[in-house]
Amino acid sequence: MSMFVNALLVGLVSVFCILDSRLLGRLNFEQPLVGATLVGIVLGDPMTGLAVGAATEMVSMGLVQVGAAVPADMVLGGIIASAFACLTGATAETAMTIAVPVAVLGQLLGIVFRSVIAVLTHMADREIEAGNFRAAYRMHIVVGTILYSLMYFIPTFLAVYVGTDLVQSVVDLIPAWLSAGLGVSTKLLTAYGLALLISLSLKKGMAAFLILGFLLASYLGLSVIAVSALGVVLALVLMDLKFGKGGLALAAADPDYDPLEDDE
Amino acid sequence: MAHTKSDSLNKKISQFFWRSWAIQDSWNYERQMNMGFLYGIVPTLDRCYPDESDPVQLERKKEAYRRHMAFYNCTPQTSAFVLGLAASMEEELAETSDAFDPGAVNAIKTSLMGPLSGIGDSFFQGTIRVIAFGLGVALAQQGSMMGPVLAMVISIIPSVLVTWFGAKLGYQGGREYLEKLQSGDLMDRVMYVCGIVGLMAIGGMVATLIGATTPLTFSEGSVVIQDILDTILPNMIPLALTGAMYALIKRNVGSGWLLVISIFGGIALSVLGILV
Repeated sequence: MSMFVNALLVGLVSVFCILDSRLLGRLNFEQPLVGATLVGIVLGDPMTGLAVGAATEMVSMGLVQVGAAVPADMVLGGIIASAFACLTGATAETAMTIAVPVAVLGQLLGIVFRSVIAVLTHMADREIEAGNFRAAYRMHIVVGTILYSLMYFIPTFLAVYVGTDLVQSVVDLIPAWLSAGLGVSTKLLTAYGLALLISLSLKKGMAAFLILGFLLASYLGLSVIAVSALGVVLALVLMDLKFGKGGLALAAADPDYDPLEDDE
Repeated sequence: MAHTKSDSLNKKISQFFWRSWAIQDSWNYERQMNMGFLYGIVPTLDRCYPDESDPVQLERKKEAYRRHMAFYNCTPQTSAFVLGLAASMEEELAETSDAFDPGAVNAIKTSLMGPLSGIGDSFFQGTIRVIAFGLGVALAQQGSMMGPVLAMVISIIPSVLVTWFGAKLGYQGGREYLEKLQSGDLMDRVMYVCGIVGLMAIGGMVATLIGATTPLTFSEGSVVIQDILDTILPNMIPLALTGAMYALIKRNVGSGWLLVISIFGGIALSVLGILV
């Protein structure tokens, strides 16, 4: 396959990933584990894509987009890193260190783009005054879709089309001690991603649950899903103790439910 | 697209459903999801004011469109409830123009944004995503394609359910449910459960996903440090690394610096033979 076709395919995957949060309410198709794997599939090397996706996902996990804050764009980082790994034979660890600077550049691009795109709102205001209702909401569903798609397509296409040879020559120069070092860097990045996640979710008096999860997995060797399942049971029991009897379902379904009422 | 008054309930709900998901399509710093909300409520408004040749209707339609161009920001899935509620209010207004002050529509939207974003973000981003992708990464690290597939299945199901039933609840019994939501402690309960499950999953991930160990030995290899550490507390090193990163974040070290520290710190620790 020519590099043009490769760049085109990766660009299309990136459009799919950005449209996940634009048109599908962020179903998580955009997450690096999915995006990087899709890149691997279109480039004919799914296992490399999967490995890069897993490594990038770990850092991405802590970068939650809450409200207006735009975090480092690991979506873009994961896609481009996966493309480079599949096309140059770089390891997942090396690709990770490409993902990070790309993600930071993507974050800057995202901030500028989201400021500029406010122009559409003013154009829609004017269309409403003129009574062109259809033109007004098309600013959102048509123009918005196109511009966000281009914001992802253009940088990914160019990075793959122009940058692959450069990355190839850099990857060829990497000595053994450095690739071993980058392997440890990936672990530190994972610790950073999880620490970010903790700093977002940890509330006063809740640290014990974090420790409990760690101990269950460490001493008993339980998987993440087993720990989560135990967590649900524990949380439901504790919720009753804290807020009084009557589970979530009951509170939601019974309109006359009063937690202070005696159960008689 | 012609929207007639006779659109069935399911058609209306599915319009709220898809249009809630598309609410971020023109996200901008100035008014965030304003046009997304307008797009969501357009079918309702077009149904309410079908006759643009009537100057009174046209003016009221413009006013309604303008109203929904105001600042808005909320998790897409929980936003479906707000959209359904606002649509039912708009229908009431169209029926009797002095049913209530039109400003009340935006007042309710604004008052719901905060709590529903809080609950939506902590449920979808903080809990579902963490569990789905924590599990997905664990499988992917073993080379299994089921990793991303399973992560998506776990992500999609709650998203579909919350959006669909949110839209339905909001549209059909909106304001009634609203009072119950605000008076009861449902939100606190959901946040509490999400908090516990999320934190326990993260704790499990610290133990299972980092996998850093030390190759250090004493007495010419007869005392392996890692073995000693493992007998006390397995995965002590991943725990310490995460704790150190957490301390740096709490000291407000910038994210750019932390990425640099991670990359160069990793190379240094590896070259010095402290970590593998």
